[in-house]
Amino acid sequence: MSQVAESSHAPTSTGIDHKKLIMWLFLASDCMFFGTLISTHLIYRKLYPTGFTDAEGHQHFVQRLFDIELTSFSTFILLMSSFLMALAVSAMHKGQIKSFRRNVLGVIIFGLIFLGCQVYEFTHFYHMGLTIQNSVFGSTFYVLTGTHGTHVAIGVLWLILLYFYSFTGKLGGHVGALDVEVAGLYWHFVDIVWIIIFTVVYLIEYLGPNGFWGTGLPIAK
Amino acid sequence: MSAPLAKEFLTEEVRRYHHFITLALWLAAITGVEIVLIFIPLPLAVIFTLLCLLSAVKFFAVILWFMHLIYDHRLLFWVFIAGLALAFATFAALLALFHVDRIDTKWFS
Repeated sequence: MSQVAESSHAPTSTGIDHKKLIMWLFLASDCMFFGTLISTHLIYRKLYPTGFTDAEGHQHFVQRLFDIELTSFSTFILLMSSFLMALAVSAMHKGQIKSFRRNVLGVIIFGLIFLGCQVYEFTHFYHMGLTIQNSVFGSTFYVLTGTHGTHVAIGVLWLILLYFYSFTGKLGGHVGALDVEVAGLYWHFVDIVWIIIFTVVYLIEYLGPNGFWGTGLPIAK
Repeated sequence: MSAPLAKEFLTEEVRRYHHFITLALWLAAITGVEIVLIFIPLPLAVIFTLLCLLSAVKFFAVILWFMHLIYDHRLLFWVFIAGLALAFATFAALLALFHVDRIDTKWFS
Protein backbone atom coordinates (compact mmCIF):
# COMPACT_ATOMS: atom_id res chain seq x y z
CA MET A 1 0.00 0.00 0.00
CA SER A 2 1.16 3.54 -0.54
CA GLN A 3 3.00 5.28 2.27
CA VAL A 4 0.36 7.95 2.36
CA ALA A 5 -2.47 5.49 2.64
CA GLU A 6 -0.65 3.34 5.19
CA SER A 7 0.00 6.26 7.46
CA SER A 8 -3.50 7.72 7.25
CA HIS A 9 -5.91 4.90 8.02
CA ALA A 10 -7.26 4.41 11.51
CA PRO A 11 -4.99 2.28 13.71
CA THR A 12 -5.79 -1.43 13.58
CA SER A 13 -4.30 -4.41 15.43
CA THR A 14 -2.92 -5.86 12.18
CA GLY A 15 -1.72 -2.55 10.75
CA ILE A 16 -3.90 -3.22 7.71
CA ASP A 17 -7.03 -1.30 6.86
CA HIS A 18 -10.07 -3.43 7.71
CA LYS A 19 -11.79 -2.92 4.35
CA LYS A 20 -8.76 -4.26 2.56
CA LEU A 21 -8.26 -7.18 4.94
CA ILE A 22 -11.91 -8.19 4.63
CA MET A 23 -11.71 -8.04 0.84
CA TRP A 24 -8.66 -10.32 0.87
CA LEU A 25 -10.46 -12.74 3.21
CA PHE A 26 -13.43 -12.73 0.86
CA LEU A 27 -11.15 -13.38 -2.13
CA ALA A 28 -9.50 -16.27 -0.29
CA SER A 29 -12.93 -17.79 0.36
CA ASP A 30 -13.92 -17.16 -3.27
CA CYS A 31 -10.76 -19.03 -4.26
CA MET A 32 -12.14 -22.09 -2.49
CA PHE A 33 -15.52 -21.55 -4.15
CA PHE A 34 -14.04 -21.44 -7.66
CA GLY A 35 -11.59 -24.20 -6.74
CA THR A 36 -14.56 -26.46 -6.05
CA LEU A 37 -16.34 -25.50 -9.27
CA ILE A 38 -13.22 -26.00 -11.39
CA SER A 39 -12.45 -29.32 -9.66
CA THR A 40 -16.01 -30.52 -10.26
CA HIS A 41 -15.80 -29.61 -13.93
CA LEU A 42 -12.44 -31.35 -14.43
CA ILE A 43 -13.41 -34.48 -12.55
CA TYR A 44 -16.65 -34.87 -14.46
CA ARG A 45 -14.82 -34.24 -17.74
CA LYS A 46 -12.58 -37.13 -16.74
CA LEU A 47 -15.53 -39.35 -15.82
CA TYR A 48 -17.69 -38.38 -18.82
CA PRO A 49 -15.17 -37.45 -21.52
CA THR A 50 -17.39 -37.59 -24.56
CA GLY A 51 -20.22 -35.17 -24.89
CA PHE A 52 -23.94 -34.64 -24.83
CA THR A 53 -27.14 -35.59 -26.59
CA ASP A 54 -29.33 -32.81 -27.96
CA ALA A 55 -33.14 -32.67 -27.95
CA GLU A 56 -33.33 -34.61 -31.24
CA GLY A 57 -31.17 -37.40 -29.87
CA HIS A 58 -28.02 -36.53 -31.83
CA GLN A 59 -24.74 -37.11 -30.05
CA HIS A 60 -22.23 -34.24 -29.96
CA PHE A 61 -18.60 -34.15 -28.92
CA VAL A 62 -17.52 -31.39 -26.58
CA GLN A 63 -14.27 -30.82 -28.46
CA ARG A 64 -16.17 -29.60 -31.52
CA LEU A 65 -17.98 -26.86 -29.59
CA PHE A 66 -15.26 -24.46 -28.60
CA ASP A 67 -14.10 -21.46 -30.58
CA ILE A 68 -10.50 -20.70 -29.63
CA GLU A 69 -10.46 -17.33 -31.42
CA LEU A 70 -13.41 -16.02 -29.42
CA THR A 71 -12.08 -17.32 -26.10
CA SER A 72 -8.60 -15.93 -26.76
CA PHE A 73 -10.12 -12.57 -27.58
CA SER A 74 -12.14 -12.64 -24.33
CA THR A 75 -9.01 -13.54 -22.37
CA PHE A 76 -7.03 -10.71 -23.93
CA ILE A 77 -9.86 -8.26 -23.19
CA LEU A 78 -10.02 -9.31 -19.54
CA LEU A 79 -6.22 -9.10 -19.11
CA MET A 80 -6.20 -5.59 -20.56
CA SER A 81 -9.10 -4.58 -18.33
CA SER A 82 -7.01 -5.71 -15.37
CA PHE A 83 -4.17 -3.51 -16.61
CA LEU A 84 -6.50 -0.50 -16.88
CA MET A 85 -7.82 -1.24 -13.38
CA ALA A 86 -4.24 -1.15 -12.03
CA LEU A 87 -3.80 2.24 -13.75
CA ALA A 88 -7.10 3.47 -12.27
CA VAL A 89 -5.98 2.52 -8.76
CA SER A 90 -2.61 4.19 -9.37
CA ALA A 91 -4.38 7.35 -10.58
CA MET A 92 -6.51 7.48 -7.42
CA HIS A 93 -3.41 7.13 -5.24
CA LYS A 94 -1.96 10.13 -7.06
CA GLY A 95 -5.23 12.02 -6.71
CA GLN A 96 -5.75 12.21 -10.49
CA ILE A 97 -9.51 11.83 -10.65
CA LYS A 98 -9.81 12.47 -14.41
CA SER A 99 -7.25 9.77 -15.17
CA PHE A 100 -9.13 7.46 -12.80
CA ARG A 101 -12.39 8.08 -14.69
CA ARG A 102 -10.78 7.42 -18.09
CA ASN A 103 -9.22 4.17 -16.94
CA VAL A 104 -12.24 2.91 -15.06
CA LEU A 105 -14.45 3.67 -18.07
CA GLY A 106 -12.08 1.50 -20.12
CA VAL A 107 -12.43 -1.30 -17.56
CA ILE A 108 -16.23 -1.03 -17.71
CA ILE A 109 -16.23 -1.17 -21.53
CA PHE A 110 -13.83 -4.15 -21.58
CA GLY A 111 -15.92 -5.89 -18.93
CA LEU A 112 -19.05 -5.39 -21.02
CA ILE A 113 -17.27 -6.72 -24.12
CA PHE A 114 -16.25 -9.81 -22.14
CA LEU A 115 -19.83 -10.33 -21.00
CA GLY A 116 -21.05 -9.86 -24.58
CA CYS A 117 -18.64 -12.59 -25.75
CA GLN A 118 -19.91 -14.89 -23.02
CA VAL A 119 -23.54 -14.28 -23.93
CA TYR A 120 -22.67 -15.00 -27.58
CA GLU A 121 -20.87 -18.20 -26.58
CA PHE A 122 -23.72 -19.42 -24.39
CA THR A 123 -26.27 -18.67 -27.13
CA HIS A 124 -24.15 -20.51 -29.69
CA PHE A 125 -23.79 -23.54 -27.40
CA TYR A 126 -27.52 -23.52 -26.69
CA HIS A 127 -28.30 -23.56 -30.41
CA MET A 128 -25.86 -26.44 -30.80
CA GLY A 129 -28.03 -28.33 -28.32
CA LEU A 130 -26.01 -27.98 -25.13
CA THR A 131 -28.18 -27.03 -22.17
CA ILE A 132 -27.55 -27.01 -18.44
CA GLN A 133 -29.80 -30.08 -18.09
CA ASN A 134 -28.89 -32.45 -20.92
CA SER A 135 -25.39 -33.48 -19.88
CA VAL A 136 -22.90 -33.48 -17.05
CA PHE A 137 -20.62 -31.31 -19.19
CA GLY A 138 -23.44 -28.78 -19.75
CA SER A 139 -24.14 -28.58 -16.02
CA THR A 140 -20.55 -28.09 -14.88
CA PHE A 141 -19.56 -25.83 -17.79
CA TYR A 142 -22.52 -23.44 -17.50
CA VAL A 143 -22.33 -23.31 -13.70
CA LEU A 144 -18.59 -22.62 -13.70
CA THR A 145 -18.44 -20.05 -16.51
CA GLY A 146 -21.82 -18.61 -15.53
CA THR A 147 -20.64 -18.03 -11.95
CA HIS A 148 -17.54 -16.33 -13.30
CA GLY A 149 -19.69 -14.23 -15.64
CA THR A 150 -21.87 -13.22 -12.69
CA HIS A 151 -18.74 -12.09 -10.85
CA VAL A 152 -17.74 -10.01 -13.89
CA ALA A 153 -21.24 -8.49 -14.06
CA ILE A 154 -21.10 -7.57 -10.36
CA GLY A 155 -17.66 -6.04 -10.92
CA VAL A 156 -18.92 -3.98 -13.86
CA LEU A 157 -21.88 -2.75 -11.80
CA TRP A 158 -19.57 -1.85 -8.91
CA LEU A 159 -17.25 0.11 -11.21
CA ILE A 160 -20.16 1.92 -12.89
CA LEU A 161 -21.32 3.04 -9.43
CA LEU A 162 -17.79 4.17 -8.55
CA TYR A 163 -17.52 6.03 -11.87
CA PHE A 164 -20.69 8.03 -11.25
CA TYR A 165 -19.87 8.46 -7.56
CA SER A 166 -16.61 10.13 -8.57
CA PHE A 167 -18.66 13.04 -10.03
CA THR A 168 -20.16 13.81 -6.62
CA GLY A 169 -16.76 14.93 -5.37
CA LYS A 170 -16.92 12.51 -2.44
CA LEU A 171 -14.53 9.98 -3.95
CA GLY A 172 -11.24 11.49 -2.91
CA GLY A 173 -8.43 11.28 -0.40
CA HIS A 174 -7.38 8.13 1.38
CA VAL A 175 -10.89 6.71 1.80
CA GLY A 176 -11.67 7.15 -1.90
CA ALA A 177 -8.36 5.61 -2.95
CA LEU A 178 -8.99 2.67 -0.64
CA ASP A 179 -12.52 2.14 -2.02
CA VAL A 180 -11.12 2.05 -5.55
CA GLU A 181 -8.30 -0.26 -4.48
CA VAL A 182 -10.76 -2.71 -2.92
CA ALA A 183 -12.89 -2.67 -6.11
CA GLY A 184 -9.65 -3.19 -8.05
CA LEU A 185 -8.76 -6.26 -5.95
CA TYR A 186 -12.12 -7.78 -6.80
CA TRP A 187 -11.67 -7.05 -10.50
CA HIS A 188 -8.17 -8.53 -10.61
CA PHE A 189 -9.47 -11.63 -8.84
CA VAL A 190 -12.08 -12.09 -11.57
CA ASP A 191 -9.20 -11.87 -14.04
CA ILE A 192 -7.04 -14.50 -12.31
CA VAL A 193 -9.96 -16.90 -12.10
CA TRP A 194 -10.39 -16.54 -15.86
CA ILE A 195 -6.65 -17.20 -16.37
CA ILE A 196 -7.22 -20.63 -14.77
CA ILE A 197 -10.52 -21.30 -16.55
CA PHE A 198 -8.99 -20.39 -19.92
CA THR A 199 -6.28 -23.02 -19.45
CA VAL A 200 -8.06 -25.88 -17.71
CA VAL A 201 -11.47 -25.59 -19.36
CA TYR A 202 -10.69 -24.36 -22.86
CA LEU A 203 -7.03 -24.83 -23.88
CA ILE A 204 -6.58 -28.40 -22.67
CA GLU A 205 -9.47 -29.56 -24.87
CA TYR A 206 -7.16 -28.96 -27.85
CA LEU A 207 -4.30 -31.13 -26.65
CA GLY A 208 -3.06 -34.49 -27.88
CA PRO A 209 -3.80 -36.53 -31.02
CA ASN A 210 -6.76 -38.17 -29.26
CA GLY A 211 -7.95 -35.17 -27.29
CA PHE A 212 -6.86 -34.49 -23.73
CA TRP A 213 -9.59 -36.71 -22.29
CA GLY A 214 -8.80 -39.57 -24.64
CA THR A 215 -12.03 -39.52 -26.61
CA GLY A 216 -10.24 -39.95 -29.92
CA LEU A 217 -11.66 -36.65 -31.08
CA PRO A 218 -9.34 -33.69 -30.83
CA ILE A 219 -10.76 -30.40 -32.02
CA ALA A 220 -10.16 -29.89 -35.73
CA LYS A 221 -7.14 -27.58 -36.02
CA MET B 1 2.19 14.72 4.16
CA SER B 2 5.58 16.38 3.99
CA ALA B 3 7.03 17.49 0.65
CA PRO B 4 9.91 14.93 0.50
CA LEU B 5 7.47 12.15 1.37
CA ALA B 6 5.07 13.32 -1.31
CA LYS B 7 7.88 13.38 -3.86
CA GLU B 8 9.07 9.92 -2.85
CA PHE B 9 5.50 8.62 -2.99
CA LEU B 10 4.95 10.04 -6.47
CA THR B 11 8.24 8.58 -7.71
CA GLU B 12 7.15 5.19 -6.39
CA GLU B 13 3.76 5.49 -8.11
CA VAL B 14 5.45 6.40 -11.42
CA ARG B 15 7.76 3.38 -11.05
CA ARG B 16 4.76 1.12 -10.44
CA TYR B 17 3.01 2.63 -13.47
CA HIS B 18 5.90 1.49 -15.68
CA HIS B 19 5.82 -1.95 -14.04
CA PHE B 20 2.13 -2.24 -14.88
CA ILE B 21 2.73 -1.43 -18.55
CA THR B 22 5.58 -3.96 -18.79
CA LEU B 23 3.51 -6.59 -17.02
CA ALA B 24 0.49 -6.04 -19.30
CA LEU B 25 2.73 -6.60 -22.34
CA TRP B 26 4.15 -9.78 -20.79
CA LEU B 27 0.68 -11.09 -19.96
CA ALA B 28 -0.50 -10.52 -23.53
CA ALA B 29 2.66 -12.21 -24.87
CA ILE B 30 2.27 -15.23 -22.56
CA THR B 31 -1.37 -15.63 -23.62
CA GLY B 32 -0.20 -15.58 -27.25
CA VAL B 33 2.41 -18.26 -26.48
CA GLU B 34 -0.27 -20.40 -24.79
CA ILE B 35 -2.47 -20.26 -27.88
CA VAL B 36 0.43 -21.14 -30.19
CA LEU B 37 1.54 -23.98 -27.88
CA ILE B 38 -1.65 -25.99 -28.28
CA PHE B 39 -1.02 -26.28 -32.04
CA ILE B 40 2.59 -27.47 -31.71
CA PRO B 41 2.96 -31.25 -32.10
CA LEU B 42 4.74 -31.95 -28.83
CA PRO B 43 3.94 -34.73 -26.33
CA LEU B 44 0.73 -34.03 -24.43
CA ALA B 45 2.45 -34.10 -21.05
CA VAL B 46 4.99 -31.47 -22.16
CA ILE B 47 2.38 -29.06 -23.49
CA PHE B 48 0.09 -29.59 -20.52
CA THR B 49 2.94 -28.89 -18.10
CA LEU B 50 3.95 -25.79 -20.04
CA LEU B 51 0.37 -24.51 -20.11
CA CYS B 52 0.04 -25.02 -16.35
CA LEU B 53 3.34 -23.26 -15.73
CA LEU B 54 2.47 -20.29 -17.95
CA SER B 55 -0.94 -20.06 -16.33
CA ALA B 56 0.69 -20.05 -12.87
CA VAL B 57 3.12 -17.33 -13.99
CA LYS B 58 0.23 -15.13 -15.17
CA PHE B 59 -1.75 -15.87 -12.01
CA PHE B 60 1.06 -14.89 -9.66
CA ALA B 61 2.11 -11.90 -11.78
CA VAL B 62 -1.39 -10.45 -11.44
CA ILE B 63 -1.71 -11.09 -7.70
CA LEU B 64 1.79 -9.82 -6.92
CA TRP B 65 1.87 -6.66 -9.03
CA PHE B 66 -1.63 -5.68 -10.14
CA MET B 67 -3.10 -6.66 -6.75
CA HIS B 68 -0.13 -5.06 -4.96
CA LEU B 69 0.70 -8.11 -2.84
CA ILE B 70 4.38 -7.54 -3.47
CA TYR B 71 4.13 -4.03 -2.00
CA ASP B 72 1.57 -4.82 0.71
CA HIS B 73 1.56 -6.27 4.21
CA ARG B 74 2.84 -9.87 4.21
CA LEU B 75 -0.26 -11.07 6.11
CA LEU B 76 -2.47 -10.39 3.06
CA PHE B 77 -0.29 -12.67 0.96
CA TRP B 78 -0.66 -15.54 3.45
CA VAL B 79 -4.40 -14.98 3.81
CA PHE B 80 -4.79 -15.42 0.06
CA ILE B 81 -2.37 -18.34 -0.15
CA ALA B 82 -4.36 -20.09 2.60
CA GLY B 83 -7.50 -19.89 0.45
CA LEU B 84 -5.56 -21.06 -2.59
CA ALA B 85 -4.04 -23.99 -0.66
CA LEU B 86 -7.48 -25.07 0.54
CA ALA B 87 -8.76 -24.90 -3.05
CA PHE B 88 -5.91 -27.14 -4.24
CA ALA B 89 -6.43 -29.51 -1.32
CA THR B 90 -10.12 -29.77 -2.27
CA PHE B 91 -9.12 -30.55 -5.85
CA ALA B 92 -6.63 -33.22 -4.73
CA ALA B 93 -9.21 -34.79 -2.39
CA LEU B 94 -11.87 -34.89 -5.12
CA LEU B 95 -9.39 -36.35 -7.59
CA ALA B 96 -8.52 -39.09 -5.10
CA LEU B 97 -12.20 -39.81 -4.42
CA PHE B 98 -13.18 -39.96 -8.10
CA HIS B 99 -10.24 -41.91 -9.42
CA VAL B 100 -12.36 -44.03 -11.79
CA ASP B 101 -11.87 -43.27 -15.48
CA ARG B 102 -14.59 -42.87 -18.07
CA ILE B 103 -18.04 -43.82 -16.83
CA ASP B 104 -19.81 -43.27 -20.16
CA THR B 105 -18.40 -46.42 -21.77
CA LYS B 106 -21.57 -47.03 -23.80
CA TRP B 107 -20.37 -44.37 -26.24
CA PHE B 108 -17.29 -46.42 -26.99
CA SER B 109 -18.94 -49.79 -27.40
